Amino acid sequence: MSVPDYMQCAEDHQTALVVVQPMGIVPEDQFFRIYKRIASVSQVSIRDSQRVLFIRYRHHYPPENNEWGDFQTHRKVVGLISVTSCTTTKEWPQTSDRFQGQKEVFGSTLYDSRLLVFGLQGEVAEQQRTDVAFYPSYDDCPDVEKRVEDFVESIFIVLESKRLDRATDKSGDKIQLLCAPFEKKDFVGLDTDSRHYKKRCQGRMRKHVGDLCLQAGMLQDALVHYHMAVELLRSVNDFLWLGAALEGLCSASVIFHYPGGTAWKSGARKPGVSSAADAGKRHRPGALTTNGISADTSTEIGRAKNCLSQEDIIEKYKEAISYYGKYKSAGVIELEACIKAVRVLAIQKRAREASECLQNVVYINLGQLSEEEKIQRYSVLSELYELIGFHRKSAFFKRVAAMQCVAPTIPEPGWKACYKLLLETLPGYSLSLDPKDFSKGTHRGWAAVQLRLLHELVYASRRMGNPGLSVRHLSFLLKKEVTQSLENYTSKCPGGMEVISLPDGLKLPPVSFTKLPIVRSVSLLNLPVSLRPHKVKGLLGQGMSSASPFIYSPITMHSRGDERSKKIDFQWVQGDVCEVQLMVYNPMPFELRVENMGLLTSGVDFESLPAALSLPAESGLYPVTLVGVPRTAGNITINGYHTSVFGVSSDCLLEGLVGVKSSGCMVEVVPSLPRLQLCTSLPRSAHLSSEDLSTSVSLRLFNGEMQQLTITLENIGTETLNTLELTSKNLSTKEKLFGEFLTWDLQDALSHLPLKSGQSVSIPVNISAKLDFSGQENLLHDLNDDGISVTGLPVSSPLRQVLKPRAENKPVGSDMLEAVLTFKYSGGAGQVEGYSRELSLGVRVDVEPSVFFTRVSTLPATSTRQCHLLLDVFNSTEHELTLSAKNNQDLVLHASECQRYTHTHTQTPPSLEGRAKKEDRKNEKGKEVKSKKRKKLIEKASVEGVLNQLILEHLQLAPLQWDVVVNGKPCDCDVIADCRVGDAVPLEVKLTNRSKSAVGPFSLTVVPFQDYQNGVQNYDLQDAVSFIGSNTFYISTVKPTENSVCVGALLFLYTGDFYLNIKFQDDSTARDLPPAWFCLPSVHVKAQEPVEL
Amino acid sequence: MAVCIAVIAKENCPLYIRSVPTQGELKFHYTVHTSLDVVEEKISGVGKALADQRELYLGLLYPTEDYKVYGYVTNSKVKFVIVVDSSNTSLRDNEIRSMFRKLHNSFTDVMCNPFYNPGDPIQSKAFDSIVSTMMVQAC
Repeated sequence: MSVPDYMQCAEDHQTALVVVQPMGIVPEDQFFRIYKRIASVSQVSIRDSQRVLFIRYRHHYPPENNEWGDFQTHRKVVGLISVTSCTTTKEWPQTSDRFQGQKEVFGSTLYDSRLLVFGLQGEVAEQQRTDVAFYPSYDDCPDVEKRVEDFVESIFIVLESKRLDRATDKSGDKIQLLCAPFEKKDFVGLDTDSRHYKKRCQGRMRKHVGDLCLQAGMLQDALVHYHMAVELLRSVNDFLWLGAALEGLCSASVIFHYPGGTAWKSGARKPGVSSAADAGKRHRPGALTTNGISADTSTEIGRAKNCLSQEDIIEKYKEAISYYGKYKSAGVIELEACIKAVRVLAIQKRAREASECLQNVVYINLGQLSEEEKIQRYSVLSELYELIGFHRKSAFFKRVAAMQCVAPTIPEPGWKACYKLLLETLPGYSLSLDPKDFSKGTHRGWAAVQLRLLHELVYASRRMGNPGLSVRHLSFLLKKEVTQSLENYTSKCPGGMEVISLPDGLKLPPVSFTKLPIVRSVSLLNLPVSLRPHKVKGLLGQGMSSASPFIYSPITMHSRGDERSKKIDFQWVQGDVCEVQLMVYNPMPFELRVENMGLLTSGVDFESLPAALSLPAESGLYPVTLVGVPRTAGNITINGYHTSVFGVSSDCLLEGLVGVKSSGCMVEVVPSLPRLQLCTSLPRSAHLSSEDLSTSVSLRLFNGEMQQLTITLENIGTETLNTLELTSKNLSTKEKLFGEFLTWDLQDALSHLPLKSGQSVSIPVNISAKLDFSGQENLLHDLNDDGISVTGLPVSSPLRQVLKPRAENKPVGSDMLEAVLTFKYSGGAGQVEGYSRELSLGVRVDVEPSVFFTRVSTLPATSTRQCHLLLDVFNSTEHELTLSAKNNQDLVLHASECQRYTHTHTQTPPSLEGRAKKEDRKNEKGKEVKSKKRKKLIEKASVEGVLNQLILEHLQLAPLQWDVVVNGKPCDCDVIADCRVGDAVPLEVKLTNRSKSAVGPFSLTVVPFQDYQNGVQNYDLQDAVSFIGSNTFYISTVKPTENSVCVGALLFLYTGDFYLNIKFQDDSTARDLPPAWFCLPSVHVKAQEPVEL
Repeated sequence: MAVCIAVIAKENCPLYIRSVPTQGELKFHYTVHTSLDVVEEKISGVGKALADQRELYLGLLYPTEDYKVYGYVTNSKVKFVIVVDSSNTSLRDNEIRSMFRKLHNSFTDVMCNPFYNPGDPIQSKAFDSIVSTMMVQAC
C-alpha cells in the first residue's frame, strides 16, 4: 500500500467503503452529478436495529489499498456502484460483461454491487434485476438515492452477518490468521500450533471483530473487542496489529467524544444521528447477548471504563504510531494515523503536540513518491498546520508545495498551480498585496522572506504567461523599495490601474508607486498677481454678512477654523492655468524618470496638463509644478496625482500618503475673466521694487523733462473686456515733487470698449519729472546773506538770525521717482460674479538734475513796479546747454558751469484769489531751458517751481498799492515831476487795498527834503516849501478792493530839486502787516522859475 | 555555538537576525520565521495567572534535521531565537540559557540608548559584538 489518503480522519474507521466508478464512456460532468447524488446517502439508519451505517464513497481507489482490508476493515471495498451509458440493446451484453469484470477487481472483498445503466430503454430495461437499475437518461433518475439506500442496507446485512459470524467463532476452533499484505510471506512455515501463534490469531481476530462492530454501529462492543485485542496482542508482541488495535480503540473513543467529527469539513456528518451517547443508550445490554465471545461486554460500566479519556486517546495514538514506525511497509498507515491524531489534537487545541506529530509526518519516508504525491503531501501538511494555528509553518509548506509544482524534474511544470499556492502563502508571511495595508504596518518585518516570495510570485506569474500579473507583482516589489527593471515587461504590457481579477476570484488591487518619487508636500499656488481675481468690495461685504449674522463671534470663528484648514483663501479662475507645487524626491539610487505626472481632482471639470520630469539619483527635495486648467467654476479639490513610472501608471491619493504636508486642497474656482497683456513703448526693466507688479519700466529723465509712454493693452483671454479703470499711486512720497508725475487720458481708450479677444488698445501716459534739487533754506540764506534788500525794503525777517554756513555748489545726485499704474478690468462671466482683475505697471524714473539755481536774489529796479531777478544757474549735466527764458537771449552753459542770469521782472499785483493764482504766477515765471546735447538733440525741460514762496513774496507787489500823483501826474522813482514856483502843486495819495482784509486807519506825513547828492539831506525847508492845508493825511479804514484818496497841495517858494518823503505812521500797534506793504514811492519834484508869459 | 541568532519584536517582525553561513541566510529566515508559530503557541499556552513568574526561557522550540531551535521571550514579548547545529551535542541546556541571558542583557542596553526608536532594526555595534561572541566562528 503506497498511496496514503491524506483526508483520513478517525471517523473513517466507522465507515464502509463503497467505490463508485464510471464504466465505459460516461461524460465526466454527468458522472459527477450522479456521484454527488449517490454520495449524499452517506449514512443510512437501519430500520430494525436502530443502528446507523456510515458509507464512505470513493470514485477512485487503488486495488493495492484494498489488500489492507483485513488489517483495517474500513479500507476494504465492500460495495461497488458502476455507472454506465448504454443506448442500444445490442450493447447490453457487453456492458454486463464489463460490469462483471469490474466486480472482479475488488471481488474478494465486495459484499454487494450495483450497476446503474443510463439511456437504455426497451425490453432489457423492463427486466427486474436487483443489481441493475435502468434509467432512460441522466436527468430522469428520480430514485437513485432510494436505490443506493437499498444497496446500503444490503451491505449492512452482509456486514452484520459477517460480524456475527466472526464474533461467534469459538475460541477453541482454529482461527484463521489475518495478515497485512506484506506479512504474508513472513508466516510461511511458522508453527501454527504454538500458543503464541494461537494468541496472535485470536488477538488479530478480536481486533477484526472490533473493526466490524465499529462499522456496524456498535461502538460499545467495538471498544470492548479492541481492549481485548490490545491485551492479547501485547502479550505476543505483535506490534503492527497492536498498533492497529490501539488505533481502533482511539478511533472508537474519538467517535464517542467528538460526535461532530474531527475532519475540518464536518458538514457532511449529521451529529444528531451519529451521537455516540445515544448510540450507547440504544445498545441495551440485552442487545449484546448475540455477542457470545465475552459476557463482560454487556455491562453498562463498560462504556466509561472502555472508552478512552481525551488524554488517553493521544497517548494511545502515540503508542500506535510508534508501533507502526517499526515497520517500513506500514508507512502509509503510520502517516494516516499521524494525520488522524493531528486532527484530534487540533480539536483538543493542543497545537504543540500536534506540531510534534506533524513534524513526525515529515520524517515518515514513503519511499519513492511521485511529484504529484509530494505536492499533495506538502499541501496537506500545510493545511494541517493551518488547522492548528501555525500559519507560518503552514505558509512554509505551502510554499514548498508550490515549488514542488515546478520542480525541474517535472516535465510539464504547473506554474498556475504554483502561483495559486504561492498566493495562498501570502497571509502566512503577513504579506498583503493590497497597498492600502502597506501603511498599516503589516508589511513590517521578514523582508528577506517576503521578498523571496514576491520574487517567486513574479517568476511564476511570468511563466504562467500572464505578464500583467507579473508587472503588478513587480510593482509591488518596487513599492517595497526593491529596484527591478520593470520596463522590459511594461513594454509588452502596460501596467494599468484596473484591478486584475484572477480566475479563482482573488482580486489584485492596483499598486501605486506612492514612493516613486516620494512626495513631501503639496501646495496649491496662487495665480500670478496680474491674474488674481479681486472681489468687488461691496459684494464681499454682503457675502460675509450672510455667512454669519454676528459681527464677531468666537464660536463661529472656531467652527470655521476646521473648514478653513482645508479651504484655501485664494481663488483660481476658470480657463486659466493653475499650478500646484509638489516637493518630491527620488529615494532610488538611479535616475527616475516620471512621465505623465498630473493632478487628480474632483469637484470641477479640470484639464490636467501632464508633466514629465527626471529626478537624479537620491535627489534632495525637488519642486515640481503640476499645472491644469479648470474648465468650470466651483470648488475644486486636489485629491492626488497620477504618475507613470517605468511604464506603470499609478494613482496616488493624498489621503493615503504619509508624511505629506499640505496646506489644504480645496480652492474656489471663479468664473472666467478676461486677460490683459501689457506692453509698453519703453523697454521693460528687470527691476521690480515690489513683487505685486506684473511688469515695470524704468527710464532716466532730466529734471523737468517730460516723456510720453505708450501702454498697449491687449486682451489675450477669451472673454470680452467690459470695464477698465486706471489709477496711479506714487510710491516715493516726495514733498518737493511739483506737478503731476503721471498724467494720462483714458477717454480714447474707453471708447474702444468692450475689447474683444485679441484686440488691443493704447493709452498714452505722460511722465514728467519736476523735482527741486536746490534746498529751500539755502536759497533763502543766499538771498539774505547777499544783503540785497528786495525793492529797497529793509528786511527785518526773524529768519535772518538763523545763519547757517553756506554750502557752495554742493554736489547733487540723481533722485528716483516710483509710481504704480494699476489697471483694473473685468468682463465675461466673472464680472457678473463681481470679480475683476488688476494689472499693475511699475514706473521708475531716475531723475537727473539738469540745471538748478544755486542762488536767487532780487535787485530793485528803478521802478517800484519792477525788480531784477538774479539767478545763479548751475549746469550739473555733462552736456553743454543753452538756456533761454522768455524773450531773453540765450545763455550757453558749459558742463558743470555756474553763471549768473539776470532777468528783469515786472512785478504784478497780487491776486486775491490766493494760492491758485500764485501757482499760475509760478508757472509764468518758469524758465524754459533748452539743453543742447552734443548729439544736437534738443530736449526741452521746464524748470519751474524753483522759486519758492518765500522768494516769491519778495517778488510780489504789496497788496496795498500806493499811487502818488503830483500835479496830476503819477510819480514813481524815476519820474521827475515839474512844477512852477509859486503855483500850488496838488498832491494826491491814493491807497488801493488789494488785500483780503480791511486796513487802516493810517496817518501819512509828507516831509520834503533836499538831497545835496553828497550824503547830506536838508530837512530844514520851512522857508522854501509851504503846505497848503495840512502836511498830514488821515486815511480811514479801507475795505478790500476799495480805495481811499487824500488830496493836499504844496507851494514851492524857491526853485530847486525837492524830494518828498511820505512817511507812514501806524498808530495801531497790534497791526502785523508786513512793512513791505507800506513802501511808498519817494517823489522827486523839480521846482522851476515860473514862466513869464 | 549558535549558527543563527534572531531578535524578533513584539509584532513578530525581525529586529535583528544574523547567521553564520551568510549564503544560507534565507534558510535561517525561514527557520526562525516558522519557529514563531511554536513561540506564540507556547506563550499563549501559559496560563494568565502564571504570566508574572513565567519562565522566560522557552526551551527547545523544535528540532529539524540539521538544527535545533531554542526560544526565549522577554516580558515585553520580544523574542530571542537561537539556532544551533544538531551535531553540536556538547551544548547543554544551561549554556543555552546563559546565552539567552547574555543576549537579553545586551538587548536591554540597546533599548536604553535614547537614540534608539523601539521597533527599528538594531544596528548597535555593541550588540553585534556580543552576538559575534556567541556565534560559531565561520572558517
